[in-house]
Amino acid sequence: MEDIKAYIESGILELYVLGDVTPEECAQVEAMAQKHPAIKAELDEIERSLQLYAEENAIEPSENLRGRVLNSLVVNLGDDRTFGPGRTAAEEEDDDIIPISRARSNTFFKYAFAACLALLIISIVALISVYNKLQDSNNLVASLQSQNQRFASQANLMDKELTVFRDPSFKMLKLQGTSKSPSSMLMVAWSPAKKKVMIDMVHGNMPANDKDHQYQLWALVGNKPVDLGVFDADSTSKGMKQMKSIASADAFAVTLEPRGGSASPTMDQMMVIGKF
Amino acid sequence: MSKKRKISISEEELVLALRQREKIAVEALYDMYSASLLGVIVRIVNDEAIAEDILQDTFVKIWNSFSSYSTEKGRLFTWMVNIARNLAIDKIRSKDFKNQTKNQELENNVTFIDEQRNTVYKPELLGVKDLVEQLKPEQKSILDLVYFKGYTHVEAADELGVPLGTIKTRLRMAITQLRKYFN
Repeated sequence: MEDIKAYIESGILELYVLGDVTPEECAQVEAMAQKHPAIKAELDEIERSLQLYAEENAIEPSENLRGRVLNSLVVNLGDDRTFGPGRTAAEEEDDDIIPISRARSNTFFKYAFAACLALLIISIVALISVYNKLQDSNNLVASLQSQNQRFASQANLMDKELTVFRDPSFKMLKLQGTSKSPSSMLMVAWSPAKKKVMIDMVHGNMPANDKDHQYQLWALVGNKPVDLGVFDADSTSKGMKQMKSIASADAFAVTLEPRGGSASPTMDQMMVIGKF
Repeated sequence: MSKKRKISISEEELVLALRQREKIAVEALYDMYSASLLGVIVRIVNDEAIAEDILQDTFVKIWNSFSSYSTEKGRLFTWMVNIARNLAIDKIRSKDFKNQTKNQELENNVTFIDEQRNTVYKPELLGVKDLVEQLKPEQKSILDLVYFKGYTHVEAADELGVPLGTIKTRLRMAITQLRKYFN
């Protein structure tokens, strides 16, 4: 037993595994290994550790070497099978597919993709044109709406004006031009019951006032003038204008006053006057 | 990059399949051992292109002389790595190889290998860090000289200037350390 241990300790087994022994030593080690299981076990341990050491120091060969090596071996197999650089999972899956059908499905997907792309482009163009039309329509609707509003408010205004003429409580009075302005004329509608005073800007004939002056309407109640508000007259004046309210009046008159009106009328600037 | 599926079977199955000359065995053999064998060959010849040629020769030789392998002689890898090492050592000692290198005028093989040694001891070629720490420097250098550089223990003793007995002891200690590490 002692010499077996010494034999193991001598280091010859390591050299044997490394192939660094003479043919005689080689035969001797093999004979010893057959006779003594301990030596056989020791050899196996040495081989295993050197194999693991080689694995720790492994260098992966390049991809194409696999095919090269396997093809050079396959000559001996008498087989025309060729080996590629490893089989990928995708290649394994493809094994059951007939190449022709694969090609067809490939082109099918190619055309399908192209068709989808074309459809997408057409859809986008159509969408843009429809969007533009929608925008135009929206603008048209908006302009029609504002026009409609204008008509409505105008109709409403005219309706209001018409009530003046329909209402029997209104009295119409024509204010005639004074000596200062003989051609001037203004129509006043007054309802004592409703205390409403309206002046008709359309059918009046007042000379246009300047920027610093305004016309002021007065009511004469027992020879005392009462302010009924100011108004402007120019070529664009139209419609009726409601003035301040008053319940009783003997006469109406208009004077030209500084802009904003005065507390009492400037008598020499009286333009028109009318009495009941 | 697609992940390759490597074939791996047990050593017993592989040996059986190789004896029966099965095609799958060739692929398995390559997938299981090519990297480990190439690691050894590259360290001997120090040139990846030449090493890959030698790896191809190694597989051809393994395949053609497989009938001479017997499981009683030891592990399959030991048998294969010795084929690879012998082919690699034959290569670096061939005139053809020396002519390819710039060190062609150097006639002494040992000196020639030594010239190359510096480049072989690159840190990235060393194994796992823990493993390196397990080995004493003198253990590692003797192991790598013999295993990875193709020195005989006689040449290694000469190279390192230590007695043959010491070389054997250190080699044994180094491999014993490896065994401890891998266990």
